[in-house]
Amino acid sequence: MSTFDEVRSIASDIFGVASAKLSADSSPDNIESWDSFQHLNLVLALEEKFGAQLSPEEIEQMKTLGATAALIDAKLQASSR
Amino acid sequence: MAIVIQPYRQEHESAVQEFNRRLQRSGDPNLVFSQSCVPRWLPPANDNPVWNEFYVAVDSSRPELSVRGAYGLKQEALFVRGKGVQRIACYHHPLSEGIVDRAFTSVGMLLARDALARQPYLYALGMGGSETPIARMLKALGFSLAAIPFYFRVVHPAKFLREMQALREKSWRAMLMDVAAVSGTGWLAIKTAQAVASSHGEALNFAVEEVGEFSDWADELWNRAKENVSAATVRDARTLRLLYPANIGNNIATKIATTRHLRVSRDGSAIGWAVVGIRRKDAKYGTMRVGSIVDCWAMPENAIAVIRAATQALENDRADLIVSNQSHRIWCSALEKSGFLKGPTNFVFAASKKLTELLRPIEENRESLHITRADGDGLPVNF
Repeated sequence: MSTFDEVRSIASDIFGVASAKLSADSSPDNIESWDSFQHLNLVLALEEKFGAQLSPEEIEQMKTLGATAALIDAKLQASSR
Repeated sequence: MAIVIQPYRQEHESAVQEFNRRLQRSGDPNLVFSQSCVPRWLPPANDNPVWNEFYVAVDSSRPELSVRGAYGLKQEALFVRGKGVQRIACYHHPLSEGIVDRAFTSVGMLLARDALARQPYLYALGMGGSETPIARMLKALGFSLAAIPFYFRVVHPAKFLREMQALREKSWRAMLMDVAAVSGTGWLAIKTAQAVASSHGEALNFAVEEVGEFSDWADELWNRAKENVSAATVRDARTLRLLYPANIGNNIATKIATTRHLRVSRDGSAIGWAVVGIRRKDAKYGTMRVGSIVDCWAMPENAIAVIRAATQALENDRADLIVSNQSHRIWCSALEKSGFLKGPTNFVFAASKKLTELLRPIEENRESLHITRADGDGLPVNF
């Protein structure tokens, strides 16, 4: 399973939207339930799943699911070096 | 967008006004942050034990200064039995542009996390219930939530029933059903319930004196009674003088409401104190004049005398209804024995993980925490 698929699966649970309806371009602009509270839940779920703490700068980069997956990928690669 | 959270300074004030204007477009007049970087209430000053400080979330990706969020921290000291005094802070008035613009959904959590980083021993109070966005967010961040009991005493039942039924306040109506008050017997039901409650009173012998300012006698009371609580924000004379300054009633320019400070004594010695006030008009209570027992302190055996003194003062001040939020079982019991009924509460105490750890075992200690309307950001106008 790719990082994007894992992020999409988590987002699907949190936003209550079927995975098939979520794409790399999914964002608060086109996912109705992606509000401040669910954004927090997404951050907390990703931190738990990937064992990483996201900084304020990184949280701001989470504008779309694609950007979020790319961010997680970069963090995982950095930590494995 | 690149958000940087920093202390609110004068150079941010015009950007905060713009921020307020954008929030106001939501139609909620309460979405306003302080236009002044210097808190009107409890501004920081040398060596003060309690003070307020403000922070703003600045959008550094914009060429012009843009504020996307803001919050306040009330820095104070908490006495914890067996553990001494710990610095803590109240997280209050968090406002995020995410409320009106989805481009800023992350700001709300950035504010809360920034506050936690500045003071891990953090709490929030009130919040309008445990299901509001702020309460849910804090819960997700690991805060423990507890409802603080709410008590009320109806001084003028006919007016109370008229107003409450006209307002169709659901939570109140549900409670009134319990005392069969929505029927024609409502007036009698309330009087009866209150009379039964207050019949538990023992012979009380006390004198009440209104004082301008708290002095050494309040220190003695603080030191004598603090071991009876599991925790309380420090209420020594110095702190009380900051929270309840002598000239508070005259301070119209700052819109600070009037509170009265009551020294309760027996045989000339202080046995407790209470702070009472008439609340601002609130649509929730219609045209009723609502008195509040804002704060109080005494040894457990004198709690009833203090509540009776506070109640008398507010009744003399023509209150139609008297309300109080109290967490400590001694004060809850004193209210119940003084004719107060328990009502629906939306006053919630949220403690961060670190603070919860400090108050451990919180399940056992919760009912001996001393939390009132004076804690948090309730003063000086929302008591």
